Formats: sequence, C-alpha cells, structure tokens
Amino acid sequence: MSFPLLLAIIATPAIGALVVTCIPARRPEVIKALGYAFTAANLGLCGYLLWSFQAHDAGFQFVYDKPWIPGLGVRFTLGVDGISLFMVVVTGLLFPLGLLASEKYITHRVKAYVAWFLMLEAAIMGIFLTLDLIAFFIFWELLLVPMYFLILGWGSERRKYAAMKFFIYTGLGSAFLLASTLVLGFLHQADTGVLTFDFRQLAAWNGLSGTAEVLLFIGFMAAFAIKAPLFPFHTWLPDVHTEAPTAGSVVLAGVIIKMGAYGFVRFSFELFPQATVDLAPILLVLAVIGILYGAIVATMQTDLKRVIAYSSVAHMGFVVLGIFSLTVIGIDGAVFTMVSHPLTTGALFLLVGMIYERLHTREIGEMGGIWKPAPILTGLFVASMFAGIGLPGFSGFVGEFLSLAGAFIYDRPFAIVATFGVIFAALYMLWSFQRAFTGRAKNAVAKMKDLDLREIVVVVPLIALSLFLGIYPKPVLDRVEPAAERAVANFERKTDYRSPETSIHRRARLREIDRAEKLQAKRAAEEVAREKKGSK
Amino acid sequence: MNARDVLDYIGIVPLLPLFGAALLLLFGRRIGEPIAGWIASGLMALAFLVSLVMLFSLLDLPAQGRLQVNQIFTWIPAGTFSVHVGTQADPLSITWILLVTGVGLLIHIYSIGYMHGDPLFSRFFAYLNLFAASMLILVLADNLLLTFLGWEGVGLCSYLLISFWYHRNAAAVAGKKAFVTNRVGDVGFLLAMFLIISTYGSLEYTSMGPAAKIVGTGTSTAIALLLMVGAMGKSAQIPLHVWLTDAMEGPTPVSALIHAATMVTAGVFLMARAYPFLEMSHDAMTVVMWIGAITALLAGTVAVMQPDIKRALAYSTISQLGYMFLAIGLGAYTAAVFMVLCHAFYKGCLFLGAGSVIHGNGDNQDMRIMGAFRKLMPVTAIAMVVAWLSIAGIPPFSGFWAKDEILVDAYADGKYGVWIIGTIAALLTAVYMTRLIFLTFYGNARFGDAFARPDGAEAVPVVSGGSDEGDRGHGDGHGDGHGDLALADDPFADEPTVKFDEPPRPDRLHGHRPHESPGLMLLPIVTLALLAAFAGLLNLPIGNLDFLARFLEPVFHGVAVPDPTRSQELTVEGLSVLFAITGLAIAVMIYRHGLKTPSDDPVVDKLRPVSTLMGHAYYWDEGIGAFVGGPGKAGSSWLDRVFDQKIIDGAVNGVAGIAQWFSRIASRVQDGYVRRYALGILLGAVAIVLFALLWAGR
Amino acid sequence: MIATAQTITTPSVDLWAIAPIMALVGAGVGVVLLRALLRRHAAVTQICFGFSILGVVVAGGLLFRQWNLVRDDGPITTFAGMVRVDPFAVFLGVVVVAATAMGLLLAVSYLNREGLESPEYFALILLSASGMLMMTTANDLIVVFVSLEVLSIPLYVLAAFDKRRLASQEAGLKYFVLGAFSSAIFLYGIALVYGGTGTTSLTGIATFLANNTLFEQGTLLVGLGLLLVGLGFKVAAVPFHMWTPDVYQGAPTPVTAFMAAATKAAAFGALLRIVSISFPQYQDDWRPIVFVLATLSMLVGAIAALAQNDIKRTLAYSSIAHAGYILMGVYAATSRGREAALFYLFVYAFMAIGAFAVVTIAAPRADDAKHSYDDYRGMALRRPVLGGLLIFFVLAQAGVPLTSGFVGKLEIFGSVAQAGETRDYILLVIGVVSAVIAFGFYLRIAYTLVTEPDDETALAGAYAKPRGVDAWTGVVLFAAAALTLVVGLAPGMFIHFARDAVFF
Repeated sequence: MSFPLLLAIIATPAIGALVVTCIPARRPEVIKALGYAFTAANLGLCGYLLWSFQAHDAGFQFVYDKPWIPGLGVRFTLGVDGISLFMVVVTGLLFPLGLLASEKYITHRVKAYVAWFLMLEAAIMGIFLTLDLIAFFIFWELLLVPMYFLILGWGSERRKYAAMKFFIYTGLGSAFLLASTLVLGFLHQADTGVLTFDFRQLAAWNGLSGTAEVLLFIGFMAAFAIKAPLFPFHTWLPDVHTEAPTAGSVVLAGVIIKMGAYGFVRFSFELFPQATVDLAPILLVLAVIGILYGAIVATMQTDLKRVIAYSSVAHMGFVVLGIFSLTVIGIDGAVFTMVSHPLTTGALFLLVGMIYERLHTREIGEMGGIWKPAPILTGLFVASMFAGIGLPGFSGFVGEFLSLAGAFIYDRPFAIVATFGVIFAALYMLWSFQRAFTGRAKNAVAKMKDLDLREIVVVVPLIALSLFLGIYPKPVLDRVEPAAERAVANFERKTDYRSPETSIHRRARLREIDRAEKLQAKRAAEEVAREKKGSK
Repeated sequence: MNARDVLDYIGIVPLLPLFGAALLLLFGRRIGEPIAGWIASGLMALAFLVSLVMLFSLLDLPAQGRLQVNQIFTWIPAGTFSVHVGTQADPLSITWILLVTGVGLLIHIYSIGYMHGDPLFSRFFAYLNLFAASMLILVLADNLLLTFLGWEGVGLCSYLLISFWYHRNAAAVAGKKAFVTNRVGDVGFLLAMFLIISTYGSLEYTSMGPAAKIVGTGTSTAIALLLMVGAMGKSAQIPLHVWLTDAMEGPTPVSALIHAATMVTAGVFLMARAYPFLEMSHDAMTVVMWIGAITALLAGTVAVMQPDIKRALAYSTISQLGYMFLAIGLGAYTAAVFMVLCHAFYKGCLFLGAGSVIHGNGDNQDMRIMGAFRKLMPVTAIAMVVAWLSIAGIPPFSGFWAKDEILVDAYADGKYGVWIIGTIAALLTAVYMTRLIFLTFYGNARFGDAFARPDGAEAVPVVSGGSDEGDRGHGDGHGDGHGDLALADDPFADEPTVKFDEPPRPDRLHGHRPHESPGLMLLPIVTLALLAAFAGLLNLPIGNLDFLARFLEPVFHGVAVPDPTRSQELTVEGLSVLFAITGLAIAVMIYRHGLKTPSDDPVVDKLRPVSTLMGHAYYWDEGIGAFVGGPGKAGSSWLDRVFDQKIIDGAVNGVAGIAQWFSRIASRVQDGYVRRYALGILLGAVAIVLFALLWAGR
Repeated sequence: MIATAQTITTPSVDLWAIAPIMALVGAGVGVVLLRALLRRHAAVTQICFGFSILGVVVAGGLLFRQWNLVRDDGPITTFAGMVRVDPFAVFLGVVVVAATAMGLLLAVSYLNREGLESPEYFALILLSASGMLMMTTANDLIVVFVSLEVLSIPLYVLAAFDKRRLASQEAGLKYFVLGAFSSAIFLYGIALVYGGTGTTSLTGIATFLANNTLFEQGTLLVGLGLLLVGLGFKVAAVPFHMWTPDVYQGAPTPVTAFMAAATKAAAFGALLRIVSISFPQYQDDWRPIVFVLATLSMLVGAIAALAQNDIKRTLAYSSIAHAGYILMGVYAATSRGREAALFYLFVYAFMAIGAFAVVTIAAPRADDAKHSYDDYRGMALRRPVLGGLLIFFVLAQAGVPLTSGFVGKLEIFGSVAQAGETRDYILLVIGVVSAVIAFGFYLRIAYTLVTEPDDETALAGAYAKPRGVDAWTGVVLFAAAALTLVVGLAPGMFIHFARDAVFF
C-alpha cells in the first residue's frame, strides 16, 4: 500500500497537538477549531480504513515497517487486523465526540487541554496499531503522560491522588511488561541469533521453556490485568473515573481499559500459547469474580460515576471471560464487547457529565426526579442504561451472550456463575436510575435545563450505533471472526488444546441437514396434497 | 402469490406497531392527544387485519404443512454458531398474534379514554405499541434467541409502563422489581440457550424436535427446566411471582394488556414451543405440573384476602397462570393455549372493568369502600358479571370449558393429586371473584359522606372532580395522578394501591361520586365480555367441535394427548361445576350485604391468623425484601466499604505508604553530620573488603 | 598493542593525544593570568569568560579530530602506556567538554545575579574539566588517581564558591573531607593492587593476570574492592552517596549541574576501564559487588527522593538513582552493557544539566538557597515555557518514552536482560520497579509545577518580576532539550556513536 494509512492515523493527532501548541493561548476558538479539525480528519481516516479493510482476511493489513532503534532491533511496525481495526475506529469516533462534550466544561487553559487530548489519541492509536513489542510499550507508556495531565489539570477534588495512582499503578504493571519483553527478545536472540521485537517473528518462534513461558506470561499479564482492570487490580479505576474530566472518563472507559484485553488477545495468545492454555482457568476465575464483584459493589455506590466505573469492571470481566474461553465464539464476543462497551459506557459517562455540569454533583442522593425537568436527557440515559444492562437489540447483549456462550462451551461452571451477573447488572443500573431520575424533582433538580442540540448530537451517535450493532452485528463479527479463528487455530497448532466447538460444529451441521430434509419432506407432502385437491 | 409467500411477509405484523412506537417516541409531543392514541390504535387494527390474512393463508395449507419458516437475515454469525432473524408462521404463533393484536387493539382504544388528560398521553401509546411489537416478535421468532429479544423487549416495556408515573416512588420501585425479578428468570433462559448451543448448536425451533431425541433425557430435562425458570419469571409462577402484584402500580390498561392478557402468558408460549424437550423428560413435566398446581392453589388463597381490587385480580391472574402450567405439565398443550385465550378475554374484561371502576370513583382501588356500584356504572357491572361467571367456571361461559379441559386431562392422566388441587383452586376462584364482584357492585354503599370520617377525622374538602360534577373529573381530577402536579398536594394520591391490613381511607374519595366511564372505555369492556362468554365455542370437547385442538394439532404432532372417556369427563365436569357453585354460594352468603363498616371484612376477621398469613402472601415477598434490604445490603455494603476500599485498595495504597515510610527513614539518616557520612563510606568499604576476603575468589 | 607497550623503552610523547587536556589547562591558566593582568578592566569577567569558552571550543575541536583519528587507525597509547586515547575516551571526553561548556554558559547570569562575579570560577571549572578528560584517557591507576585529585580539588572550591551562603560553605567542606577520605581509600586500593600484580598499568594488570595465576588473591581482591569504593564515591553510588544531597543542594546550581553531568562521566569512565580492561577474569568477584551497589543506588535514590521538599535535593537523589542504572550497565560486563552505560552517561548529562539549568534561573527568590516545592508551585502556569521544559527534563529522567531517558533505560535494561542469568533477571526487575518508584517524585515535581499555589500572596511576591532567560542559558536549555528530544525520537545515530566508542 503506497499511502501509509496507519502511520497517518497515528501522526494526524500528533501533528495536531504540535500545531495547537504553536497557537497563542488567547485564541481558544482557533484552538478548538483545530482540535475538531484534526480529530475529525482522523475519524475520516479511520472510516477509510474501515472501508478498505479486507474482511475475511486473517492476516495483518496495511503493514508499514521502518527501523527505529537499530541497536535493539526495534522497528516501527504497524499493522491492523480484525481485532485492532474496531478499536482504532472506536477511538477515532470517541475523540471528536469527547472534544465536543468538553465544549462547555473546559473553559480554562483550553490550549493545553486540546493539545494533551490530541496527544492521547495519538498514543492510543499507536498502541492498537504497532506490531513491535517495544514500540507497543513505548506507546503504552506514553499514554500515561497526557492522561496524567488531563486528570491533573481538569479533574475534580482528589485529582492529584487519582492521577498519581493511575500513573504509578498502571506504570508498575508496565514495568513488568517491559522486563518480560526484553527478556523474551534476548532469549529469542540467544536461540536464533536474531534480535527482534516484532511479535510476529517472536510468535513464530517457539523455543521457550515451559517455566520461562509461564513467567513471561505473568509478566505481560501484570500489565494487562491492571489495565483491564481485572479483579483484584481494579481499585484505581473508580478513583480515576470520578476525578477525571468527562472526556477523560469516556476515553478511559472507552478504549484505555480495553487495551488490557487487547494485549491478552494480541500478544499473550500469540506469544505464550501453552501458558495461556494452562493459566486460562485462573483468569476465568478472576473474570467471574470481577463480573459479580464489580456488579455487587456497583450497587452500593452513591456516586453516579463510580456506579458506572464498577459496571465497567463487571463488563471487562465479561470480556476477559470471553477471551479466555479460548473459543471462537467467546473471543468474537469479547472483541465485540470491546467494540460495544465504549458506545454504551461512553454515552453514560457523557450523560453523567452533562448532569454534573447542571447540578455540580455526582451524588445520587442529591438528585432525584431528573426525569420531569429533563425528559430528553432521561430518555437517552434510559436507552444507554438498557444498552449497558445488555438488553437484546443493543450491542451489549451480543457481546455478553457470545462471551458467556463461549465460556459455557469451554467449561460450564464459569459461565453458570457468571450468568448471574446479568441480574446484578439490572439491579445496580435500575436502582441508581430510580434514585436519580424518578420521584418528585427537588428544587435544584426541578430547575435544571434539558439537553441542548450540541449535547444531543454528542450522545445520539453512540446510542444509534449501539442499536445498529445490536440488530446487525454481522459487519463487525465478519471482520473479527478470521482473527479469532486464527487465534484458536494457533492454540490447536502449538499446544495439545482442542477447541470443544469443533465437535458441536459437526453435530450442528447434522442438525441443519436433518432439518432441511424434514422441510423438504413437508413441502413434498403438501405439494401432493395440493395436487390431490387440484384433481378433485 | 400462494399462501407460503404470503406467510413469508408475516414479519410485517410486528413492524407496524414498531413503526408506531418510533413515530410516537420521536414526535409524540408534537402529535399530542388524542391523535397519538388513534395512530397507535390504527396501527394495531392494521396489524390485526394482517394477522387475520395470515391466519387464512395458513388455513390454505394442508394441516401437516402448516409451517412456514422465513429466515430474513443473519443476525449473529460467530464461528460455528450462527443465528438468523426469521419468522415462523404456524398455528401456535398465529393464534398468539391474533390474541395480541386483537386484545391489544381493544386495550389501545380503551386507553384513549382512560389516559385522557394525561400529560404523557402520547408516550403511553408509544410504550404500548413498543410492547405489542416486542410481544409479536417474541411469538413470531423462529429461534430462541430472537424470542429472547422479544422476551426482554416486553420486559422493558413492562418496566417502562409499570413505572409510567415515575413521580410515584412506589411505581418506580415496582417497575425495577418487575425487571430484576424477570432477570432472575432470564438467567434460566440464557443458560438453556447456552446448553443448547454447547450440545447441538442450533437455536431454531424446527431443530428442537430431532435435537431433543439426540441429546437424550438428561440434557432435555435440564433444558426444559432452565426454560421453565425463565417462564416462571415472565409468567409470575411461585417463587418468582412477587413482581406481578406490585406491577399493579401501572396504569390499569397496562395491567390488563401486559399483566393479564398477553405478556404473562409468554411463559406458556415458551414451554409450548419447547415441548419436544418436555416430551423427552417425564421429570421435567412433573416439576412443571406441580409448580403450576401449587401456584394455582396458593395464589387463590391469597386473592381471597385482598382489599385492593387490582391486587386481588393480580393474584387471581397468578393462580390462573398456574392452571396453564399445570396443563403444560400434563402435556395438554392445547388445553393450555385454550386457557390462555379464555383467560385473556375474561381477565382482560375484569381488569378493564376494574379500571373503569377505579376511574369512576376518584382513583380508589379499595373494595372495602365501594359497593352497590351496579346502579352507578351499569354497563361495567354487567360486563364484569359475565366475566366473573366465566372465570368462576360456570357453564356455558368460556372459563368453564378451558378449566375443565385441564382438570379432565389431569384426572384422565391419573394425576389425582393435581386434579384435587385444581378443583380446590377452582372453588377458591369462585370465592374470591364473587367476593370481588359483590364488594364492588352489590351490597351496601360504603362511600360518600356516611363513611367519609372513619375515626372522626376532618372531612377532606372536595377537590376538582368532586361529586357534583362527575364528568369534568376525567380531565385532571383523577387518572391515577395525571400530571403529578395536579395531585401534588394530595398525600394519598401518590399511593393508590391498598395492601392487606391497611385501614380503609374513605376520606380519599373526597366525597367523589362514582360514575360510569365514557363509551370509548365501555366498548372494549363489552367486547371482551362477549368474548369471555362465548370463547368456549372455540374448543368444545364435544364431537369434532374442538377447532382449536385440531388447529394446533400439527404443532404438537407426536404428543400423546390424554383422551378421557365420556364418563370421566362427565364426573370431573360435574364435580367442578359443583365446587364452583359451592364457592360462589359461600361467597354470596358472606358478602350478600357487603360489609358492616369498611374496616371489617368477615372472612379476614374470622380466619385470623390464617387470613393474615394469606393476606401477606405467606410473607414470601416481605421475606425477600427483608433479606435483600437486610443481610443482602449489609453484605454488599461490607464488600464495598471494607473489602474493596480497606483491604484491596488499602493494600495498594499501603505499598505506597511503605515506600514513603522508608523514604522518611532514609532522609532521617541524612542528618548532615560528616562523621555519619564517613561512617557510611567506611561500613561500605568494610563490607566490600569482607566480601573480597571471605567469599570472593572461592 | 600489549606487545608495543613492552618494546618501547623510552616513553614516546604524543602531544596530540593529550591536546584537548592541554587546551583546557591552558585556558584555565590563561584565565588566571588574564585576571591578574586586567584586574582594573571593567569587562574582565566577560573577557575571561570568552577566553574559557574559546578553550572549550578548541578542546572540542581537538576531540573531534581525535575521534576520526582513533576511529581510522586505532587507539593511541603514549606516555609509556599511561595515557590511552581510544574512542571510549573520546566519547566521554565529548560528554565532559559539553558539560563544561554548559556549566560555563549557565554561570554567567548566575554569578552576576548572586553577586559572585569572578573569573576564578571559570578557571576552576576548566581545571576540573581537564582532570576529568585526563581520567577518561587514563590507562594507569596512578594517572587515574592523579586525575581524580585534579578534578576534585577545584570542585571542592567550586562547591563552596558562594561565600555568603553557609550551605555552600558547608557543602564545600563536606565534599572536601569525604573526598579526601575516599581518595585515601582509593589510593590504598591502588597500593594493594600493585602489591598483588606488581604493576599499576591497567593493561599490564590484565596481561599479568592473564599469564599468571595467583596463589592468594586476597590482596588483589581487597585492592579491587577499595578501588570500587573510591570510584563509587565519585559516582555517588550507595552507600558512598551520603555527601551527594548536601553538596548538590548547597553548591551553586551551575556547579551542581556540572558535577552531576561531568564527574559521573569521568568517574564511570575510569570504573569501566578498570573493571573491564584489568579485571575481566575476576568478573565473578566484582560483579556481585556492583550488583549490590546498583541495587542500593537505584532503590535508595528513588525511595529517599520521595520525601524531599527541595527540588535540588530531589534531583540530587535522582542522580544517585541514575548512577544505579549506569552501574547496571557496568554489571552486565558485556559490550552491550558498556555501550548502554556510555549512552546513558551521554543522555543523562543533558537531562541533568537541562533540569538544573531551569532550576538555576527559575528559582523565584533571588537567593539560590530557596528551592522548596512551594517556591515552584504553579510555575508552569506562570511561565509555561520554562515550567514546561523542567517538566520535560524531569519526565525524561523518569524515562518516559520519546525522550532520551527512555532509550537510555531501554539500553541499560536490555543489556542486563541479554546477560540472561537468573540473578541478571532479578536485577532487571529491581531496575524496572525502582524506575516506577522514581515516577513518584518526578510526577510530584510535575504536579507542583502545574497546580495553583494555596496562597496567591506567596506567589505574587515570588513572580512579581519574573526573571528573564539570558541568551547563554537559553542556548543551554535549547541544546539540552533538543538533544533529549531528538535522541528520544531517533536514537539510531547516537547509539551507533556509543557502540563505536565501546572498545579500548
């Protein structure tokens, strides 16, 4: 491919950040305009990527490859497949919306805000597009900086604590990622004489000893589990969510916490298949705990943002559950959830942000009766809420269903326990909703304004998309499928793991044929009958 | 274009109301009252007509060929597993869409009158249409997952409609409770689907038959019972029945449509669809049968005690649904469906009538302060009397035929236990329905000034919609708190529901004088009454007048239908008529003259403490509430406050704290004295030297 | 090469080899002379400054020439093998000279501001620098010792250069006393090594150990250990680090910058030479020691910095931690390790000087003693560029990607990971974890700079008339920032530079 599309997707926001820093701070309107321009342009590029992406192709597309740090064999290798494609697109979608949502909220130091925001997008894009482990780490670590300053500069009361916690806690995980990456690379060099961190080459090489593989897997897991966040490494998430500015929360819940899950599928699977197969049960247990635990704790929250934050913990539990079900169905479901969760949770965070802008509180206790003064807000909230609960017809359900189905196929107990999560999901959302939105409006609430056009424009696309994907998820699943197939095939090739699906598949085929025959018979019988009628 | 091609377009039926819902949700405010209502009703009428077309084109087909599956598009393709969005037109689904669109239409029309003057008028109809659409998807789906979509859709609408008057706390809470309780059932539904996927991988209904034989008894039992859990949630079977009575917080048309006629029968539909698994598993059938029987009996006992007309009807609904599951458990699917139809008619009629009664006397639902309404609202009275006789099982009204077919089958099957229970439940039905009718329409009038001051309290001044100007009242005076501000100053208007043991509050009436409802509301009531009277003709157990049975036969082919001998039929029918009349007589004896004062109900007072137990529905609901509110809440609160914040997060922050602590130590060592620094160097040197001498070079 | 070292009977003197050193010494002496001659002249300081800059430039040019020379036709050994000019030496020489130049540039406005204007400052810097250059080329323990003294004594004076500030005086004194102490230990180490091998030439020791096996290694090993102590003191490795915070904090900030960057380079140069030229066979004996030193330095440096309330002091601790990372490179004892160490020294010099440069001019109060966090609160809001630069340098030191600091750490960790034994992995983990701990105080600095102060009044006084950035400091800041960023983005060339430098 002549035009380095992926490079452009990373570079556009980065350049944007650069340009913005050159604009004098006293021209906020220009800066905002530039912000919209660059994020929108990037969304356009993502759209083009989505359009020209070859479905049913398991490999990496638009690969771009340049040397970066020769001494260490680090290369700047970009590539996209069905798993990263949609994360990139969602990222591209969330950023313009996030910026639009910040329109009112961000009044001071607009310049710095926009610059950091654009840099954040660049970092995230890099994470999802690089195929070189070191480059991946570079972006992975780079992401912390803009996030840190966004929380610090535009967060709420305990922002210092939150920012610090985010940076150091997730940084700690990354430290192990770096160590493991280097060790892996040099083990590979010691064995083959080639020093490379291109994960495709490392994945092709299987000279790792069993223990080494397990240890490295754990090293990677440290980073991914904390970022995901997997129980019990989740406590940073609520703190950060509550303190972060709305757009920050949206991006955080939307894509940043997906990076952990993405890392599992992209790297742990390919690099350490045996360890993955062996340790899958542990992660499944953590995932199941996360689902129930996150949901139960969410019911107890009094801060609307914390409720959604803990619900994210539960949802990521579903993702990890699907991923480590090691079945195509499960992985499909997990990746699909990674695509749909940003839409629903993003919408919820945006709406909570809008409530906060009006009432200057996130305490559920201080709300109540919002429905009456703000029917549109409430209507959108109800929609996103049920999308989040996983109501069929919204995208959330498809992902949850497939993840659970995959887990059920892999090993029933996990799925059976996890399925009870759907009860609590309804419980905490509806309970918070009832306390915040129904009843009689108190004074402060009674006077609040409903959404204006801008705010509606921010939220509706997310909900609409979620609805569309809930009714017609095929486009996404078709593109995710090959990658998922590849992952499972990888296990079956490198380990003695055999996906339980295959046998079911055969039986399902038999059923299909059987049914077809039966229908044929019916038709025939009926034709005969009709002829008889005719003859009479 | 032949019949099959027509049936391929059956998908239009749900699309019509769906379009209405979208239209009204987006532009409802601008359309406004009453056009919104007429649009919604019109679309329902259209849907009903289309359904009729579908019925006839289905009848075109030869009996054995009455099955048309149309896979419209692939919904979820995931690896080896894939689900279509498709419709399945067969006698069962056609029956149900006729029921939904027909009764739905009537209730839409009714609502135009009932919701008159409500600020949320158009939203109400949007929800109603959305509900109809979901329900139609539920029954027309050709696979479990799409049914589940409709299943959750009706759940959503039920939630939205129960808490329609969201400014009422009780309503909001009830809606939440309904949805969450249904979620419990959904877990069963989901697990059933997972089990199917993981055993034979296809959720289509048409593949159930062969599949059930392949997967064997064990799995079939599991699948059937898991689906039953789902059905118990939706159809309010014990122990998941707790939400239905609270659902009465919703507007009465909702109670009629969703919580009596259609949605609650979805469970029956599901079990009927999943009959192959039931047929494979005797245990599963037994379980279903007993759940149904017990529900029928217990709910009946509870209904007898309720002072609130709607709650009484709700418990009666639960009990009637019990009958249907009893029938399913017997394998008498046709009987169950027949019961569903008849129940939809008479219970729909009763609820709409109750609505008319409530509507007509200032939002009062407390039967203890009604009485002698038959003169004030004659049409409603007559209609409800018909429905009463029907549900009580008095021949020749439809209820008799429906119930007795089930009881006969039970008897013929040799399931004497459930037969006896069923018969007793029938007696109870007669009792509580008679009580309801007499307390409402006959006996002494227990409202108005005579009773306005129960305990010498000040008479509440007459507010709008007062006795003198009954009809202007529709506008704003009542309507379960239309436009919450209208009633913002009324302490009682928020909670019309009357729980057992709550003292009657005649002062609530504001001296409001009961009056008949407008024709728009009476029309559906009367129609349903007629249906309730004559629906029996659909399926008479005489000769080959059992149209419904023969219509549905191809759906349940290969099912051994118990065919009772003439003598068995006569014994059972005779006995149950006897019981019905007995019950009726007992109740008439007791409530002939109504109540002496609103506050003492003879049955309740005589049967203490049993009546207390029954009145509180055996404290099951309270028990759950106490658990969730008590240990449940405490536990999760502990998880949050202690485990999460102290232990897990404490550990995280603890590590940081340790680092800080070390840091302080380190800087304390840096006290600025050269001697200490020199000592540090010296110690380091000594350590290295020792290392060099003792360890190194070995 | 060893052969040649033996055949030579009379020491050949190749002045080109020591030309850069001469240049610096010359400049230093010249400054003193000028000072004496032009005592009356108004612009004496400026003239001296210009002269010293000239000297530095010349030295730089000569180094450049040497680089090509030794690249093309091998290292130059002269003075009876006592001096050895090889890429390694030249590389570190460049670092030293660059640091020197910056140390000089920073001083101009500072001295003027603090009322310390006197050319001696330049002279001292230049002389110390010459000692450092000598150290990088030293191929004989004696030369190492001499150069150690040459570089140290001017530093003692410089540390105490601010006559009015007690802290400065104290710093000078402490540095002197402890420096003397450690020098003595170092000297004793030399003696023992000589006793063990009969030579003080690094290559000589290597050949001796290669050709003979010692009965009794005790003497030699103790000697080696003491050498490590002496150099460990100079590079501020724990537990020989305790002078660092006080001295760094007390000394005039430009001096601190110079010390942090240049002294480390020189001392590590000597250390690397000694351990990897003379004692490769004794790896198993000295690597554990370095292991411990590195571990302690990283952890103590990072942890102790958390609780500091003074930015200069914090940066002092951070320099201790950085010494730990470089020691990891030494520990690796592979060419990759040496390369990483060199590279790290190079990038650290610029990160450190950059940070200290900001501190030099950003100190809100006129008095150099005030560098508490409260004084810096909200600085990035008042002075975005300056504050932004400090944040940038601090994050670079923290090892945030796309800065030279990250590449440096990557190289270091990589070298240890390559070593590939369990204990190496342990050290690797310790390294990365300590890096995360270090985030704590680096972020605290960043936080301080971007948050509004509690009481506006305190700030109003501080920033009533923000101090302008003079041209020289601007040059330093720009150079440091540019290099830190460029190396972070495209490190290829510089890594090659370091790689070519790794052979003796």
